Amino acid sequence: MQKENRPESFEAFIKSFFYGKRSDLSFKFISELTPENASIFIQGLFKDLMDSFDDDDLERVRQRLLQGQVEGYKEQKNFEYDDGPFHPLQKPLSSIKLTLLTSSGHFLKGRDSKPLGVENMTQEEAERRIFDSLKEAPQLSEIPFDSKSEDLVVRHGGYDIRAALKDPNVSFPYQRMVNLKDQGVFADLTVNAYSFVGACSQKRLLKKTLPDWVDKFVNLGVDAAVLVPV
Amino acid sequence: MSVGHVARVLEEAKIATIVIAVKSFETRMRMMSLPRVLLTPQLLGRPLGNPFNEKLQITILNRAIQLLERADRNGTIQDYY
Repeated sequence: MQKENRPESFEAFIKSFFYGKRSDLSFKFISELTPENASIFIQGLFKDLMDSFDDDDLERVRQRLLQGQVEGYKEQKNFEYDDGPFHPLQKPLSSIKLTLLTSSGHFLKGRDSKPLGVENMTQEEAERRIFDSLKEAPQLSEIPFDSKSEDLVVRHGGYDIRAALKDPNVSFPYQRMVNLKDQGVFADLTVNAYSFVGACSQKRLLKKTLPDWVDKFVNLGVDAAVLVPV
Repeated sequence: MSVGHVARVLEEAKIATIVIAVKSFETRMRMMSLPRVLLTPQLLGRPLGNPFNEKLQITILNRAIQLLERADRNGTIQDYY
């Protein structure tokens, strides 16, 4: 018997951007929109594209994408806490030691942590195996602040790394930290900046890895940390 | 989520934190009751702005670092304009 060739529904179409056959990490938010809102978004994007061709101004397209992403993520409530800790800075900024920690998945060439035991995992495989990664403890990569940007690698199955490939500072602003230290905004930096893949097991992060990371930062005399999620 | 957990644990260890996140993550950040957050009107994957826009990256980062000193309570969430 021949398989029935049913037309794809619009709902299936928008869901396919979330690790489906049209997986696109910049547009996976479409899967979180209602079909009605997704259709409004796509139609509006087409309109904006034509207007932008006419006046060479892409800002309206950027704004359309931004609004779509905000709408797509606004109902995501994975962890909820009624209150949280607050540690006031104990010294003026001009005398503090800072570090940088991001979940952007950067590491130095030759120092790959081999996620899931895979040597030289590609970005494509990281995306394909995202749900395996979510069961794993994260690995902390140490990246000296004086590293050259061409010596950095980025791989992360949870976000579109194309901008970070061109310039790591978009999500791992290590060179900008050095700029501000040189301007005297704060006193000192740790020797290394830090990065890990945020798409990991939250339970393992909290129970297994974070206590070690905290010990490391306390021993380094860090007063404050700049943190960047992606 | 991961960075939210890192922020909470570091604060408990008396290390002050500032999170720089894209505006799309606002709900997540608020639900996690984080100490200090700067929300940027940037696209996913580019919380500090577009590639090679050094001036914007420095301005955003500087604004975040200033918030480290200015915030006086948990839940200080500011939009970058």
